[in-house]
Amino acid sequence: MNKRRILVALSALSLASAVFAANQETKQAPAIAAAAQEQQPTADADAPEPATPPAPANAKPTPRSIEAAERIEGEKRFRTNCGRCHQAPHKFPPRTMATVIRHMRVRSMITDEDQRLILRYMTQ
Amino acid sequence: MAIIHRTWEPVRNARPAAIEREVNARLVRTAAPRSRSFLTLRLALILAALLASSQFQRPLHAQSQSLATQDAAQPDNDKPVPIFTGSAGYITDFTGGSPDLHPIASGVLLIPIGDRWLIESRDSFEVDMVQEPGRSGFHGLLQKEVDYAQADFIANPYLTITVGRFLTPFGIYNERLYPVWIRNLQSDPLILPIGIGPSNASTGAMFRGGFSASQSVTVNYAVYFSALSKVTPVDSERTAGGRAGLFFPKLRLEVGGSFQHRLQDERSNLFGAHAIWQPNSLPLDVRAEVARSREGSGYWIEPAYRLSQLPFLRDEMRRTQIVARVQQFWVGPSANDALPAVNSQVFEAGVNYYFMDGLKGSFNYGRQFSSQGNVNVWTMAATYRFVLPFERGGNQQ
Repeated sequence: MNKRRILVALSALSLASAVFAANQETKQAPAIAAAAQEQQPTADADAPEPATPPAPANAKPTPRSIEAAERIEGEKRFRTNCGRCHQAPHKFPPRTMATVIRHMRVRSMITDEDQRLILRYMTQ
Repeated sequence: MAIIHRTWEPVRNARPAAIEREVNARLVRTAAPRSRSFLTLRLALILAALLASSQFQRPLHAQSQSLATQDAAQPDNDKPVPIFTGSAGYITDFTGGSPDLHPIASGVLLIPIGDRWLIESRDSFEVDMVQEPGRSGFHGLLQKEVDYAQADFIANPYLTITVGRFLTPFGIYNERLYPVWIRNLQSDPLILPIGIGPSNASTGAMFRGGFSASQSVTVNYAVYFSALSKVTPVDSERTAGGRAGLFFPKLRLEVGGSFQHRLQDERSNLFGAHAIWQPNSLPLDVRAEVARSREGSGYWIEPAYRLSQLPFLRDEMRRTQIVARVQQFWVGPSANDALPAVNSQVFEAGVNYYFMDGLKGSFNYGRQFSSQGNVNVWTMAATYRFVLPFERGGNQQ
Protein backbone atom coordinates (compact mmCIF):
# COMPACT_ATOMS: atom_id res chain seq x y z
CA MET A 1 0.00 0.00 0.00
CA ASN A 2 2.90 2.29 0.81
CA LYS A 3 4.45 1.63 -2.58
CA ARG A 4 1.21 2.53 -4.28
CA ARG A 5 0.94 5.77 -2.35
CA ILE A 6 4.52 6.69 -3.13
CA LEU A 7 4.16 6.02 -6.84
CA VAL A 8 0.83 7.79 -7.07
CA ALA A 9 2.33 10.77 -5.26
CA LEU A 10 5.40 10.84 -7.51
CA SER A 11 3.36 10.58 -10.70
CA ALA A 12 0.99 13.26 -9.47
CA LEU A 13 3.99 15.46 -8.71
CA SER A 14 5.48 15.04 -12.18
CA LEU A 15 2.16 15.64 -13.91
CA ALA A 16 1.39 18.64 -11.76
CA SER A 17 4.83 20.04 -12.59
CA ALA A 18 4.21 19.61 -16.29
CA VAL A 19 0.77 21.23 -16.11
CA PHE A 20 2.12 24.08 -14.03
CA ALA A 21 5.00 24.56 -16.42
CA ALA A 22 2.72 24.64 -19.43
CA ASN A 23 0.79 27.47 -17.83
CA GLN A 24 3.99 29.39 -17.31
CA GLU A 25 5.23 29.00 -20.86
CA THR A 26 3.38 31.93 -22.30
CA LYS A 27 4.96 34.21 -19.73
CA GLN A 28 8.49 33.50 -20.98
CA ALA A 29 8.31 34.82 -24.53
CA PRO A 30 7.53 38.42 -23.60
CA ALA A 31 10.65 38.48 -21.42
CA ILE A 32 13.00 37.96 -24.37
CA ALA A 33 11.01 40.35 -26.50
CA ALA A 34 11.28 42.95 -23.76
CA ALA A 35 15.01 42.32 -23.47
CA ALA A 36 15.36 42.77 -27.22
CA GLN A 37 13.39 46.00 -26.97
CA GLU A 38 15.76 47.23 -24.28
CA GLN A 39 18.77 45.99 -26.20
CA GLN A 40 17.94 47.71 -29.45
CA PRO A 41 19.28 51.20 -28.66
CA THR A 42 22.37 49.69 -26.98
CA ALA A 43 23.15 47.50 -29.98
CA ASP A 44 22.79 50.45 -32.32
CA ALA A 45 24.97 52.54 -30.04
CA ASP A 46 27.83 50.06 -30.57
CA ALA A 47 28.20 51.31 -34.12
CA PRO A 48 30.65 54.23 -34.41
CA GLU A 49 28.37 56.44 -36.49
CA PRO A 50 24.76 55.36 -36.61
CA ALA A 51 23.44 55.81 -40.13
CA THR A 52 19.90 56.08 -38.90
CA PRO A 53 18.50 57.78 -35.85
CA PRO A 54 17.83 55.56 -32.84
CA ALA A 55 14.64 53.60 -33.07
CA PRO A 56 11.73 54.83 -31.01
CA ALA A 57 10.98 53.03 -27.79
CA ASN A 58 7.89 51.35 -29.20
CA ALA A 59 9.61 50.07 -32.36
CA LYS A 60 9.46 46.35 -33.15
CA PRO A 61 12.65 44.45 -32.25
CA THR A 62 14.84 43.72 -35.26
CA PRO A 63 16.65 40.39 -35.81
CA ARG A 64 19.91 42.11 -34.90
CA SER A 65 18.60 43.45 -31.62
CA ILE A 66 17.06 40.07 -30.79
CA GLU A 67 20.37 38.37 -31.51
CA ALA A 68 22.25 40.79 -29.30
CA ALA A 69 19.73 40.41 -26.51
CA GLU A 70 19.87 36.65 -26.76
CA ARG A 71 23.67 36.67 -26.66
CA ILE A 72 23.64 38.68 -23.46
CA GLU A 73 20.89 36.54 -22.02
CA GLY A 74 22.76 33.38 -23.08
CA GLU A 75 25.93 34.52 -21.32
CA LYS A 76 23.93 35.34 -18.24
CA ARG A 77 22.27 31.97 -18.24
CA PHE A 78 25.57 30.21 -18.81
CA ARG A 79 27.02 31.91 -15.76
CA THR A 80 24.00 31.23 -13.58
CA ASN A 81 23.34 27.63 -14.70
CA CYS A 82 26.57 26.08 -15.96
CA GLY A 83 28.70 28.11 -13.55
CA ARG A 84 27.23 26.22 -10.63
CA CYS A 85 29.46 23.25 -11.52
CA HIS A 86 31.79 24.34 -14.32
CA GLN A 87 34.54 26.90 -14.66
CA ALA A 88 34.99 29.49 -17.38
CA PRO A 89 33.31 28.70 -20.71
CA HIS A 90 35.12 26.75 -23.36
CA LYS A 91 33.62 26.98 -26.79
CA PHE A 92 33.45 23.87 -28.93
CA PRO A 93 32.34 23.65 -32.57
CA PRO A 94 28.58 24.15 -32.96
CA ARG A 95 27.62 20.53 -33.67
CA THR A 96 29.71 19.25 -30.79
CA MET A 97 28.34 21.92 -28.50
CA ALA A 98 24.78 20.99 -29.48
CA THR A 99 25.39 17.47 -28.17
CA VAL A 100 27.08 18.70 -25.02
CA ILE A 101 24.22 21.08 -24.27
CA ARG A 102 21.62 18.36 -24.82
CA HIS A 103 23.55 16.15 -22.41
CA MET A 104 23.69 18.97 -19.87
CA ARG A 105 20.01 19.69 -20.30
CA VAL A 106 19.28 16.16 -19.12
CA ARG A 107 22.00 16.10 -16.47
CA SER A 108 21.52 19.47 -14.85
CA MET A 109 17.85 19.93 -15.70
CA ILE A 110 18.20 23.34 -17.27
CA THR A 111 15.09 24.61 -18.97
CA ASP A 112 14.38 24.36 -22.67
CA GLU A 113 14.86 28.09 -23.05
CA ASP A 114 18.15 27.97 -21.13
CA GLN A 115 19.37 25.24 -23.46
CA ARG A 116 18.55 27.24 -26.55
CA LEU A 117 20.06 30.50 -25.31
CA ILE A 118 23.22 28.89 -23.91
CA LEU A 119 23.74 26.97 -27.15
CA ARG A 120 23.40 30.18 -29.13
CA TYR A 121 25.83 31.98 -26.83
CA MET A 122 28.36 29.15 -26.88
CA THR A 123 28.36 28.84 -30.65
CA GLN A 124 28.60 32.50 -31.58
CA MET B 1 11.80 -2.20 11.30
CA ALA B 2 15.27 -3.70 11.52
CA ILE B 3 14.70 -4.97 15.04
CA ILE B 4 11.47 -6.70 14.03
CA HIS B 5 13.18 -8.28 11.07
CA ARG B 6 16.10 -9.55 13.09
CA THR B 7 13.92 -11.05 15.85
CA TRP B 8 11.60 -12.63 13.31
CA GLU B 9 14.32 -14.60 11.51
CA PRO B 10 15.11 -17.22 14.21
CA VAL B 11 11.39 -17.93 14.78
CA ARG B 12 10.87 -18.66 11.11
CA ASN B 13 13.91 -20.90 11.03
CA ALA B 14 12.54 -22.89 13.97
CA ARG B 15 9.32 -23.86 12.12
CA PRO B 16 8.76 -27.45 11.03
CA ALA B 17 9.37 -28.09 7.35
CA ALA B 18 5.68 -28.62 6.48
CA ILE B 19 4.67 -25.33 8.07
CA GLU B 20 7.60 -23.65 6.33
CA ARG B 21 6.41 -24.94 2.94
CA GLU B 22 2.87 -23.73 3.63
CA VAL B 23 4.13 -20.32 4.71
CA ASN B 24 6.30 -20.06 1.62
CA ALA B 25 3.39 -21.07 -0.61
CA ARG B 26 1.19 -18.39 0.99
CA LEU B 27 3.93 -15.85 0.53
CA VAL B 28 4.19 -16.74 -3.15
CA ARG B 29 0.40 -16.54 -3.55
CA THR B 30 0.18 -13.18 -1.84
CA ALA B 31 3.29 -11.80 -3.55
CA ALA B 32 2.06 -12.51 -7.06
CA PRO B 33 -0.96 -10.15 -7.05
CA ARG B 34 1.12 -7.50 -5.30
CA SER B 35 3.82 -7.66 -7.95
CA ARG B 36 1.15 -7.60 -10.70
CA SER B 37 -0.44 -4.60 -9.10
CA PHE B 38 2.94 -2.95 -8.78
CA LEU B 39 3.69 -3.64 -12.43
CA THR B 40 0.32 -2.15 -13.37
CA LEU B 41 1.13 0.94 -11.40
CA ARG B 42 4.48 1.32 -13.11
CA LEU B 43 2.87 0.93 -16.51
CA ALA B 44 0.23 3.48 -15.52
CA LEU B 45 2.98 5.86 -14.49
CA ILE B 46 4.79 5.53 -17.81
CA LEU B 47 1.52 5.88 -19.74
CA ALA B 48 0.67 8.98 -17.73
CA ALA B 49 4.04 10.49 -18.59
CA LEU B 50 3.65 9.68 -22.28
CA LEU B 51 0.14 11.16 -22.21
CA ALA B 52 1.50 14.28 -20.60
CA SER B 53 4.25 14.48 -23.18
CA SER B 54 1.82 14.22 -26.07
CA GLN B 55 -0.46 16.76 -24.41
CA PHE B 56 2.25 19.38 -24.29
CA GLN B 57 4.18 18.25 -27.34
CA ARG B 58 5.49 21.08 -29.44
CA PRO B 59 8.69 21.97 -31.25
CA LEU B 60 11.32 22.15 -28.55
CA HIS B 61 12.66 25.50 -29.61
CA ALA B 62 9.32 27.13 -30.25
CA GLN B 63 9.11 29.26 -27.15
CA SER B 64 7.61 32.16 -29.02
CA GLN B 65 6.52 33.00 -32.50
CA SER B 66 9.43 35.33 -33.21
CA LEU B 67 12.01 32.90 -31.91
CA ALA B 68 10.46 30.03 -33.83
CA THR B 69 10.77 32.08 -37.00
CA GLN B 70 14.38 32.75 -36.25
CA ASP B 71 15.05 29.08 -35.53
CA ALA B 72 13.55 28.12 -38.84
CA ALA B 73 16.04 30.38 -40.53
CA GLN B 74 18.93 28.97 -38.53
CA PRO B 75 21.43 27.03 -40.64
CA ASP B 76 21.67 23.27 -40.35
CA ASN B 77 25.23 23.29 -39.03
CA ASP B 78 24.36 23.00 -35.34
CA LYS B 79 22.68 19.60 -35.47
CA PRO B 80 24.22 17.52 -32.72
CA VAL B 81 26.77 14.86 -33.61
CA PRO B 82 27.78 11.79 -31.61
CA ILE B 83 30.76 12.55 -29.42
CA PHE B 84 33.09 10.67 -27.18
CA THR B 85 34.21 12.67 -24.19
CA GLY B 86 35.61 11.86 -20.84
CA SER B 87 38.29 12.52 -18.33
CA ALA B 88 41.44 11.05 -16.94
CA GLY B 89 43.20 11.71 -13.70
CA TYR B 90 46.13 10.62 -11.66
CA ILE B 91 45.55 11.08 -7.96
CA THR B 92 48.15 10.44 -5.31
CA ASP B 93 47.35 10.66 -1.65
CA PHE B 94 49.23 10.01 1.53
CA THR B 95 46.88 8.92 4.31
CA GLY B 96 48.65 8.77 7.62
CA GLY B 97 51.94 8.54 5.74
CA SER B 98 51.05 5.58 3.52
CA PRO B 99 50.95 6.41 -0.19
CA ASP B 100 48.06 5.49 -2.46
CA LEU B 101 48.20 5.85 -6.25
CA HIS B 102 44.91 6.19 -8.00
CA PRO B 103 44.82 6.45 -11.79
CA ILE B 104 41.31 6.81 -13.21
CA ALA B 105 39.83 7.17 -16.67
CA SER B 106 36.20 7.70 -17.61
CA GLY B 107 34.72 7.66 -21.07
CA VAL B 108 31.37 9.23 -21.88
CA LEU B 109 29.60 8.33 -25.10
CA LEU B 110 26.84 10.66 -26.26
CA ILE B 111 24.69 9.70 -29.23
CA PRO B 112 21.93 12.17 -30.08
CA ILE B 113 19.13 10.80 -32.24
CA GLY B 114 16.76 13.23 -33.88
CA ASP B 115 15.56 16.21 -31.90
CA ARG B 116 14.43 14.39 -28.82
CA TRP B 117 16.60 11.42 -28.05
CA LEU B 118 19.96 11.03 -26.42
CA ILE B 119 21.74 7.77 -25.70
CA GLU B 120 24.47 8.28 -23.13
CA SER B 121 26.84 6.08 -21.26
CA ARG B 122 29.79 6.49 -18.94
CA ASP B 123 32.26 3.80 -18.02
CA SER B 124 35.01 4.17 -15.47
CA PHE B 125 38.26 2.32 -15.13
CA GLU B 126 40.30 2.87 -12.03
CA VAL B 127 42.98 1.24 -9.97
CA ASP B 128 43.65 1.78 -6.30
CA MET B 129 47.32 0.93 -5.94
CA VAL B 130 48.92 0.51 -2.53
CA GLN B 131 52.15 -0.89 -1.19
CA GLU B 132 51.71 -4.41 0.09
CA PRO B 133 53.86 -5.84 2.87
CA GLY B 134 56.65 -8.04 1.56
CA ARG B 135 56.28 -6.89 -2.02
CA SER B 136 57.97 -4.10 -3.85
CA GLY B 137 56.14 -1.46 -5.79
CA PHE B 138 52.43 -0.65 -5.85
CA HIS B 139 49.71 -3.16 -6.56
CA GLY B 140 46.00 -2.99 -7.15
CA LEU B 141 43.18 -4.44 -9.19
CA LEU B 142 41.55 -2.73 -12.12
CA GLN B 143 37.96 -1.83 -11.25
CA LYS B 144 35.48 -1.42 -14.10
CA GLU B 145 32.16 0.28 -13.62
CA VAL B 146 29.24 1.17 -15.86
CA ASP B 147 28.34 4.45 -14.22
CA TYR B 148 25.34 4.95 -16.42
CA ALA B 149 23.90 3.67 -19.69
CA GLN B 150 20.64 5.39 -20.38
CA ALA B 151 18.25 6.52 -23.06
CA ASP B 152 16.75 9.98 -22.63
CA PHE B 153 13.59 11.07 -24.36
CA ILE B 154 12.94 14.81 -24.22
CA ALA B 155 9.17 14.56 -24.21
CA ASN B 156 8.47 18.26 -23.96
CA PRO B 157 10.20 21.37 -22.58
CA TYR B 158 9.34 20.29 -19.04
CA LEU B 159 9.74 16.55 -19.02
CA THR B 160 12.54 14.17 -19.94
CA ILE B 161 11.99 10.45 -19.59
CA THR B 162 15.06 8.36 -18.84
CA VAL B 163 15.24 4.58 -18.88
CA GLY B 164 18.16 2.30 -18.23
CA ARG B 165 20.93 2.67 -15.72
CA PHE B 166 21.27 6.21 -14.43
CA LEU B 167 23.10 8.07 -11.69
CA THR B 168 20.84 8.18 -8.67
CA PRO B 169 19.61 11.74 -8.17
CA PHE B 170 20.06 11.88 -4.42
CA GLY B 171 21.80 15.09 -3.46
CA ILE B 172 23.98 16.87 -6.00
CA TYR B 173 27.44 15.38 -5.71
CA ASN B 174 26.83 12.06 -7.43
CA GLU B 175 25.09 13.50 -10.47
CA ARG B 176 26.77 16.82 -10.99
CA LEU B 177 30.13 16.98 -9.27
CA TYR B 178 31.52 13.45 -9.31
CA PRO B 179 33.86 13.52 -12.38
CA VAL B 180 37.47 14.22 -11.41
CA TRP B 181 37.74 17.23 -13.72
CA ILE B 182 34.68 18.91 -12.15
CA ARG B 183 35.14 18.28 -8.44
CA ASN B 184 37.06 20.86 -6.44
CA LEU B 185 38.58 18.38 -4.01
CA GLN B 186 39.55 14.92 -5.19
CA SER B 187 38.33 13.09 -2.11
CA ASP B 188 34.69 12.00 -1.90
CA PRO B 189 32.48 13.51 0.79
CA LEU B 190 31.90 11.09 3.65
CA ILE B 191 28.14 11.04 3.07
CA LEU B 192 28.38 10.38 -0.67
CA PRO B 193 27.37 6.69 -0.40
CA ILE B 194 24.08 7.61 1.29
CA GLY B 195 21.18 7.22 -1.09
CA ILE B 196 23.05 6.58 -4.33
CA GLY B 197 22.98 2.79 -4.34
CA PRO B 198 25.71 0.16 -4.30
CA SER B 199 27.56 1.47 -7.35
CA ASN B 200 26.34 5.06 -7.47
CA ALA B 201 23.55 4.23 -9.91
CA SER B 202 20.01 2.94 -10.23
CA THR B 203 18.39 0.76 -12.87
CA GLY B 204 14.89 1.65 -13.94
CA ALA B 205 13.02 4.71 -15.12
CA MET B 206 13.20 8.36 -14.23
CA PHE B 207 11.17 11.46 -15.03
CA ARG B 208 12.97 14.75 -14.74
CA GLY B 209 13.02 18.28 -15.99
CA GLY B 210 13.39 21.94 -15.27
CA PHE B 211 11.21 24.93 -15.96
CA SER B 212 10.86 28.55 -15.00
CA ALA B 213 8.09 29.01 -12.48
CA SER B 214 8.51 32.77 -12.71
CA GLN B 215 11.15 35.31 -13.68
CA SER B 216 12.91 34.78 -10.39
CA VAL B 217 12.51 31.04 -9.73
CA THR B 218 13.43 27.97 -11.74
CA VAL B 219 12.21 24.58 -10.60
CA ASN B 220 13.99 21.31 -11.29
CA TYR B 221 12.77 17.88 -10.35
CA ALA B 222 13.54 14.18 -10.76
CA VAL B 223 11.47 11.19 -9.71
CA TYR B 224 12.60 7.65 -10.27
CA PHE B 225 12.05 4.00 -9.64
CA SER B 226 14.92 1.56 -9.49
CA ALA B 227 14.77 -2.22 -9.68
CA LEU B 228 16.98 -4.63 -7.80
CA SER B 229 19.98 -5.81 -9.78
CA LYS B 230 22.72 -8.02 -8.42
CA VAL B 231 24.63 -8.27 -11.69
CA THR B 232 28.08 -6.76 -11.32
CA PRO B 233 29.01 -4.11 -12.45
CA VAL B 234 25.44 -2.90 -12.93
CA ASP B 235 24.11 -3.67 -9.48
CA SER B 236 21.42 -1.49 -7.96
CA GLU B 237 18.85 -1.43 -5.20
CA ARG B 238 15.08 -1.50 -5.37
CA THR B 239 14.12 2.04 -4.49
CA ALA B 240 11.80 4.88 -5.35
CA GLY B 241 12.56 8.49 -4.75
CA GLY B 242 12.98 11.96 -6.04
CA ARG B 243 14.75 15.24 -5.80
CA ALA B 244 13.45 18.76 -6.25
CA GLY B 245 15.28 22.04 -6.35
CA LEU B 246 14.51 25.73 -6.54
CA PHE B 247 16.99 27.98 -8.31
CA PHE B 248 16.86 31.73 -7.84
CA PRO B 249 18.80 33.20 -10.78
CA LYS B 250 19.06 36.72 -9.33
CA LEU B 251 20.56 35.43 -6.10
CA ARG B 252 22.38 32.62 -7.94
CA LEU B 253 21.19 30.33 -5.21
CA GLU B 254 19.86 26.80 -5.52
CA VAL B 255 18.29 24.92 -2.66
CA GLY B 256 16.69 21.54 -2.83
CA GLY B 257 15.87 18.30 -1.15
CA SER B 258 16.02 14.59 -1.88
CA PHE B 259 13.96 11.68 -0.70
CA GLN B 260 14.31 7.96 -1.19
CA HIS B 261 12.30 5.01 0.03
CA ARG B 262 14.02 1.65 -0.04
CA LEU B 263 11.70 -1.08 -1.29
CA GLN B 264 13.84 -3.85 0.12
CA ASP B 265 15.52 -4.93 3.33
CA GLU B 266 14.61 -2.46 6.06
CA ARG B 267 12.37 -0.38 3.77
CA SER B 268 13.83 2.70 5.33
CA ASN B 269 13.52 6.31 4.25
CA LEU B 270 16.47 8.52 3.36
CA PHE B 271 16.47 12.30 3.32
CA GLY B 272 18.86 14.84 1.88
CA ALA B 273 19.16 18.56 1.30
CA HIS B 274 21.55 20.59 -0.82
CA ALA B 275 22.45 24.18 -1.57
CA ILE B 276 24.68 25.93 -4.08
CA TRP B 277 25.34 29.64 -3.88
CA GLN B 278 27.45 31.85 -6.12
CA PRO B 279 27.29 35.45 -4.96
CA ASN B 280 27.10 37.97 -7.76
CA SER B 281 29.88 40.15 -6.44
CA LEU B 282 32.50 37.47 -5.73
CA PRO B 283 34.05 34.58 -7.72
CA LEU B 284 32.97 32.30 -4.89
CA ASP B 285 31.15 28.96 -5.01
CA VAL B 286 29.62 27.57 -1.88
CA ARG B 287 28.21 24.05 -2.04
CA ALA B 288 26.70 22.06 0.78
CA GLU B 289 24.82 18.86 1.36
CA VAL B 290 23.10 17.14 4.27
CA ALA B 291 22.01 13.49 4.30
CA ARG B 292 20.19 11.41 6.84
CA SER B 293 19.63 7.66 6.80
CA ARG B 294 19.60 4.65 9.10
CA GLU B 295 23.18 3.94 8.05
CA GLY B 296 24.44 7.32 9.09
CA SER B 297 24.00 11.02 8.80
CA GLY B 298 26.22 13.92 8.02
CA TYR B 299 26.94 17.07 6.11
CA TRP B 300 29.62 18.82 4.12
CA ILE B 301 30.21 22.46 3.24
CA GLU B 302 32.63 23.40 0.49
CA PRO B 303 33.52 27.00 -0.37
CA ALA B 304 35.81 27.62 -3.35
CA TYR B 305 37.21 31.03 -4.26
CA ARG B 306 38.82 32.07 -7.55
CA LEU B 307 41.62 34.57 -6.97
CA SER B 308 40.76 36.57 -10.08
CA GLN B 309 40.04 39.71 -8.08
CA LEU B 310 43.57 40.03 -6.75
CA PRO B 311 45.39 42.99 -8.32
CA PHE B 312 48.69 41.21 -9.07
CA LEU B 313 49.75 38.33 -11.34
CA ARG B 314 46.34 38.55 -12.91
CA ASP B 315 46.80 35.77 -15.43
CA GLU B 316 48.01 33.32 -12.79
CA MET B 317 45.49 34.41 -10.20
CA ARG B 318 42.48 33.95 -12.46
CA ARG B 319 43.63 30.36 -13.00
CA THR B 320 43.97 29.72 -9.29
CA GLN B 321 41.25 28.58 -6.95
CA ILE B 322 41.45 27.97 -3.25
CA VAL B 323 39.01 25.54 -1.76
CA ALA B 324 38.09 24.11 1.61
CA ARG B 325 35.65 21.52 2.87
CA VAL B 326 34.33 20.81 6.35
CA GLN B 327 32.38 17.65 6.94
CA GLN B 328 31.03 15.51 9.73
CA PHE B 329 29.56 12.04 9.81
CA TRP B 330 27.62 10.22 12.52
CA VAL B 331 27.21 6.46 12.36
CA GLY B 332 23.64 5.12 12.29
CA PRO B 333 22.15 1.90 13.68
CA SER B 334 22.57 -0.01 10.39
CA ALA B 335 25.92 -0.88 8.88
CA ASN B 336 27.20 0.14 5.46
CA ASP B 337 30.70 -0.82 4.38
CA ALA B 338 30.98 2.22 2.15
CA LEU B 339 30.51 4.61 5.08
CA PRO B 340 32.94 5.31 7.93
CA ALA B 341 32.67 2.78 10.77
CA VAL B 342 32.91 5.46 13.46
CA ASN B 343 31.88 9.07 13.87
CA SER B 344 34.28 11.20 11.87
CA GLN B 345 35.15 14.78 11.15
CA VAL B 346 37.29 15.92 8.26
CA PHE B 347 38.69 19.30 7.35
CA GLU B 348 40.37 19.80 3.98
CA ALA B 349 41.89 22.79 2.23
CA GLY B 350 43.67 23.02 -1.05
CA VAL B 351 44.42 24.84 -4.24
CA ASN B 352 43.49 24.14 -7.87
CA TYR B 353 45.36 25.57 -10.81
CA TYR B 354 43.73 25.52 -14.25
CA PHE B 355 46.56 25.28 -16.79
CA MET B 356 44.02 25.37 -19.60
CA ASP B 357 40.43 24.43 -20.06
CA GLY B 358 40.10 20.82 -19.00
CA LEU B 359 43.60 20.47 -17.52
CA LYS B 360 43.84 21.03 -13.81
CA GLY B 361 46.40 20.45 -11.10
CA SER B 362 45.32 20.08 -7.48
CA PHE B 363 47.05 19.97 -4.16
CA ASN B 364 45.33 19.75 -0.82
CA TYR B 365 45.77 18.88 2.79
CA GLY B 366 43.21 17.28 5.07
CA ARG B 367 42.95 16.19 8.67
CA GLN B 368 40.65 13.38 9.74
CA PHE B 369 39.41 13.20 13.30
CA SER B 370 37.82 9.99 14.56
CA SER B 371 37.96 7.57 17.46
CA GLN B 372 40.12 5.29 15.31
CA GLY B 373 42.83 7.91 15.32
CA ASN B 374 43.56 11.26 13.77
CA VAL B 375 45.47 11.26 10.50
CA ASN B 376 46.76 13.72 7.95
CA VAL B 377 45.83 13.27 4.31
CA TRP B 378 47.88 14.92 1.57
CA THR B 379 46.55 14.74 -1.96
CA MET B 380 48.06 15.68 -5.31
CA ALA B 381 46.20 15.25 -8.57
CA ALA B 382 46.29 16.08 -12.24
CA THR B 383 43.05 15.79 -14.20
CA TYR B 384 42.24 16.20 -17.84
CA ARG B 385 39.00 16.38 -19.82
CA PHE B 386 38.76 15.63 -23.56
CA VAL B 387 36.08 15.81 -26.25
CA LEU B 388 36.20 13.90 -29.54
CA PRO B 389 33.40 14.34 -32.07
CA PHE B 390 32.64 11.28 -34.19
CA GLU B 391 31.35 12.93 -37.32
CA ARG B 392 32.93 15.33 -39.69
CA GLY B 393 31.51 18.74 -38.94
CA GLY B 394 31.90 18.33 -35.22
CA ASN B 395 35.33 19.87 -35.62
CA GLN B 396 34.26 22.66 -37.92
CA GLN B 397 33.69 26.06 -36.47
